[in-house]
Amino acid sequence: MSMLRTIKPKNARVKRALDEREPKLVENEKSAIFVRGQNTSEKVRLAMKDLYSLKRPSAISFSRKNDIHPFEDASSLEFFAGKNDASLFLTGLHSKKRPDNLIFTRMFDGRVLDMVEVGVDAIRGMSEFESVKASIGVRPLMVFHSDLFDTHPSFIALKSILLDFYNGHALPSLPLTSVEHVISITAGPLPPAPVPTSTNPTPTQPLPKVHFRVYTVALLPAPASAPPRISLTEMGPSIDLTVRRIQEADEDMLKQAMKRPKMEKRTQLSGLGKKRKNIETDEMGDRVGQLHFKKQDLKGMQGRKMKGLKPGFENRGKRSQIKLPGAKAGGAAEGDDE
Amino acid sequence: MDVAQDLAEYAAKHANNVLERDVPIEVDAGLLAAFDNTPVDEAAYADLNPHLLSLTLTSTASLLASLFTLPRAHAQSSTSTGTGPTATLPPPKTLLPREKALPKPKQPTKWERFAKEKGISHRTKDKKEWDEERGEWVSRWGMGGKNREGEEQWLHEVKNRDDADLDPASTLRAARKARVTKNLKQQSANTNRAINANASTDPAIEKARADKVSSRTKRKSEIDRTLLITGTATASMGRFDKKLEGEPKVKGVKRKFEANELPSGGGGAKEERERQMGVLKRVERGEGKKVRKGGEGREGDVNARKAVRYEGKQQRARQKK
Repeated sequence: MSMLRTIKPKNARVKRALDEREPKLVENEKSAIFVRGQNTSEKVRLAMKDLYSLKRPSAISFSRKNDIHPFEDASSLEFFAGKNDASLFLTGLHSKKRPDNLIFTRMFDGRVLDMVEVGVDAIRGMSEFESVKASIGVRPLMVFHSDLFDTHPSFIALKSILLDFYNGHALPSLPLTSVEHVISITAGPLPPAPVPTSTNPTPTQPLPKVHFRVYTVALLPAPASAPPRISLTEMGPSIDLTVRRIQEADEDMLKQAMKRPKMEKRTQLSGLGKKRKNIETDEMGDRVGQLHFKKQDLKGMQGRKMKGLKPGFENRGKRSQIKLPGAKAGGAAEGDDE
Repeated sequence: MDVAQDLAEYAAKHANNVLERDVPIEVDAGLLAAFDNTPVDEAAYADLNPHLLSLTLTSTASLLASLFTLPRAHAQSSTSTGTGPTATLPPPKTLLPREKALPKPKQPTKWERFAKEKGISHRTKDKKEWDEERGEWVSRWGMGGKNREGEEQWLHEVKNRDDADLDPASTLRAARKARVTKNLKQQSANTNRAINANASTDPAIEKARADKVSSRTKRKSEIDRTLLITGTATASMGRFDKKLEGEPKVKGVKRKFEANELPSGGGGAKEERERQMGVLKRVERGEGKKVRKGGEGREGDVNARKAVRYEGKQQRARQKK
């Protein structure tokens, strides 16, 4: 943060924009930055492109390469976070040691909170599926399968970060017909534990693959009282991932990040603490809005057009008298002088 | 028409492929998420994509079922706008970290602190003020404001003792501008104070700040100190020495005064009263500055030390003659 100069607002618009970045009781939706490292592979680029389109509109895609290795030095990510007011990152990298690498990074207060590194084993992009895609900005449903997401620390971290990525911002309400797609994340079964050998007495347990699938949801006609029936069509991307390195959150920082504001339940339920101006619900349950208008200017209003109401008509006769002393008053003045 | 019917039939057939789960599916409606904590069946997993589809179908169906049972919000208005039923979502069960720390409470300004100590209650001023002469409400400040009344009047009374070239309008304007500048200065002092008070007590940030004061800066301050001390070694205490570039300036010790006002709570008012009474008593007794022993003494007294020195000098001068 220190690299960024502090901006002093010079006008109200800038001030509003800066206030929007201040810490709040009810936070803005977290936006994500998608940034490529110095080397990337085709798989990584495709995965980033599709994950970006799922995250839109609260996502920023960087078009240039950046020399970033988040696990070694996350200072550039912290700089980007401060500059763009973003707190989620997806960094794509490719190296001999870690091919087709994706790194999810989460920030708190402009500093890195935790990171999860995954490798892309197989990918089929969104364009490979001939199906209707979900509209931009529609909130997905998310489903996680496997007990590992509840027990294994790496998978718990992955679950938390993916939830934060696509569904982290709690909504007060949801139009039920607006459900369009579901992100399904499944971990495979744990492979059998490797047998310790003389050269490697404590072999590491290999982790199962994680399958990232996205389906569009169609609600089928069903009786109103019965639970909804659905059909799913895969819309892509379909990505198979392996979990690699994990950087867990610093305990103190996580404690700070998990603090919840004390809010009344009512404010939480209605509009989540945001000030709603001029909108009320009356006794009948109707929403009533109050509009403010400027005072209506009646001076410029066009009334009935009459010769006598023309501006300067009153003085016309008098002026002609002054201009032409002794001369006969004009026809127009005659009526006026009566 | 036939095709559409076929498609609908196909979809309906596949909609029922819901799996039996050992562990009931956990639903977090606040985050629109469902967690199926049953271990993945290895045999079914071999046929990967159909299995994933049926898993997703199962969990999505149960998630949607619980979303449809949620209380509906503004049922009337949503149907009229054509968005269909809207479910009121409960707060999320899964806790996710915040993006930024909780907002800090606003720090009181210097005046607000003083007012609190003294128990002065806040009084709101109207934007408009009653003008007796004009017989109307005029704004307190701004265009045609009451605070620039003096500047804008066409005739000014000039006192006898005033300078001949005194421009009352511009004097008043300058005074008003000075008040504005003073207020801005106080404002910025208040914001600075608030920033310092709100400075993070986060141990990680504190550590980073401490690390910043690296060994290099420590060494630099040591050198500065040595330079200041050695500078005073000459007869003129370094006054006529050549100055080095970037040589540190000697900063004197700033005087510090005790606060005039003490907080009224906790015996502060009593102490303040005693202090003020003490000053009054000293004035009453006629005590002035404290007199140094052997110093100049009071008015009218003879300074013995000076008198002896003076006499000694005179004697020596006489002896030389």
